[in-house]
Formats: sequence, structure tokens, C-alpha cells
Amino acid sequence: MKRNLAAIIVVAVVVALMLFAGVRSSHRPRPSGPALTPSEARGKEAPDFALKDLQGKQVRLSDFRGKAVLLDFWETTCGPCKVEIPWLVELQNQYRAQGLEIVGVALDDSGPANIQKFAKEMGMNYTILQGRDAVGDAYGVIGWPTTYFIDRSGKIVDADEGLVSRAEIENNIKKALSIS
Amino acid sequence: MRLKSSLLLLPLLLAYTCVAADDNPKLSRVYVSFEGASSATVVPGKPSEVELRFRVKDGYHINSNKPKSELLIPTTLKLEPPSDLASEGVMYPPGKDLSFPFDPSEKLNVYSDEFTVRAKLSADKKASPGNFTVHGQLNYQACSDNACFPPKNVPLQFDVKVARASTGHHGTPQSPHIR
Repeated sequence: MKRNLAAIIVVAVVVALMLFAGVRSSHRPRPSGPALTPSEARGKEAPDFALKDLQGKQVRLSDFRGKAVLLDFWETTCGPCKVEIPWLVELQNQYRAQGLEIVGVALDDSGPANIQKFAKEMGMNYTILQGRDAVGDAYGVIGWPTTYFIDRSGKIVDADEGLVSRAEIENNIKKALSIS
Repeated sequence: MRLKSSLLLLPLLLAYTCVAADDNPKLSRVYVSFEGASSATVVPGKPSEVELRFRVKDGYHINSNKPKSELLIPTTLKLEPPSDLASEGVMYPPGKDLSFPFDPSEKLNVYSDEFTVRAKLSADKKASPGNFTVHGQLNYQACSDNACFPPKNVPLQFDVKVARASTGHHGTPQSPHIR
């Protein structure tokens, strides 16, 4: 009898722990769809999200459906991001007419005023959104820059973790635009 | 028998629980570890220094306490001594001026491999002699050769011995040769 009671207690504790872990995990706010990782994202649908731009206007990723999107997670204190941003500025100019929309999600705690100041200094000519951790988590972002290339139908064609060469970024933009 | 079966299942279920609860690699990554503190004895009225050793994971660097750009997050140490002790200041080592593949034209002032931060501690005149534990944390942002990671902190704790204050009644100094 005592042994049965001990077994019930053990099972009850374990079930309670599992429920706690499951509830904790499920309560993490995430945009639609399961979390991605950049290395396994190819061919998957880009999770939709809604974030505010630097003027406070809400922007959804799905607002850009029909265009190719370069989705760049970055931060103002990130050295490699500062190298990449001037390339993105040039590439936005170069491919805008063909339907490229670059969207920079600033995963930055410094606030919109500081992000705006940084963006102005860097001459950023593309959409900049105030990021939230939940969006970064949905895209498996563990460092910056992390860049996703999304085609006109909302499917991910490629992703890069960390800074890569300008040529590699441009190749992936062409893939997203379906041009060679 | 049932109890045995339950106990056999326990490690598996606990492992599942741990994995489910800690599925965020962003939070679980550690780039700097606290390697320990030098032994420190503080006499009331006479501040003493303690050396705190840290190690940066291979392949990564963190900004020094005085990075070259105001945009970069400096490494800082915050101490929370118990009420009988006080922090009298933190002395950071100079960083190394290094450039990285992501921008060879710019040098950043960083800590990599091992570095030591010194902290000056004092004891209240009413502090009782004995061992005290000081808690604190090192705040930093780590980067690799091609990416940066969210700011993190490494918690730390070390012991400080408070010795009895000297009474001030010094006799005539005795020659070391006299036994």
C-alpha cells in the first residue's frame, strides 16, 4: 500500500513538472506558426507578424505579399550589422523597381528615438520596425545579423546567420525575386 | 514492481521536462564564465582589493569597459556587498585594440580569452570579523567574427574575510633578527 502511494506521488510530481514546462512553453508569445531555425527554413512559409515602424504605424509582414522581402534582424550595437547596412541600402535602390522590399527588424532595447537617430546616420532607406523578442524567437534568431529571403508568395528561399558577403546577399535577393 | 517501473520512467520524464522548459538557445548560451576571485582580507578602515577572473569563450570577444564607440555596450561589473562591506570602486583592465574580419578597417577595444577586473572593498568599522559573501554580476555583449549576441550577465559570488581592526597600540618595532 505504501509502495503504491509512493509510486502515485512520484508520477504526480513528474506530471506536474511536465505540465508546468508545457504551459510555460506554450505561453511564450509567438507569431503564427512554429519557430524556425535559419538553417532549416528553406521552403517554409515565413511566419507573419505585426510590428510598429519608427513612426508608430503597425506593419504586418503579409502587407508585403506580392513583393520579395529581405527580412533582416539587426541591432544598433552590432558591428557586423553596421558593415551590412550600407550594402542593404545599395541593394534596396538597385532592386526596388523589381519588387524588393527590405525590412529591418531592430531587436534593440535602446528605444525608437535611438534607432531613428542610428537609421538617419546610416542613411537607411528601407522599412525599419521596432522588434519584439517573440518575433525574433519565431525566426530562431540567436544573434545579429540574421537575414531571411522571402519570395513573392511568402515562402522562405534562403537564410543567413551572421554577416555574409555582399555577393551572397545579392544572390539570395535574386532567388527571392526569381531573377537570374 | 509498479514503483520500480515508475522510478525507471522518472529520468526519461525529467529529461523531457528539462528540454521542454529550456528550449530557447538564445537564453541558454554563455559566452563569459567567472573563473574565481583572489583571496581577500579586509580590515575595517583599510580598503582592500580583490581580483576577479573571467574567461571569454574561444571565438568570441566582448567590448571592454571603454569601447571606442558610444553605440557599443561596455562591460560593467556590479557588486552587491552585504551591509557590513562596501564597494569602493571597480578597476577594469585596458582592452585590446583588435580588428575583425567583418570590418578590418576599424579597431575595437575588446576583452578576449582571459581578463581580470579588480574591485576595492572596505569594511564598516563595526563589522564583526568573519567571512562574508559578496554577490554581483558582469554585464556584457559578446560578438563573434560575424555576429553579435544579446547582452547577457554572468552572476558571481566570492568570499571576503573581515579581520579584526588593529587597536592602534603599536609598541616599538622589533628587529626581525631578535628571537
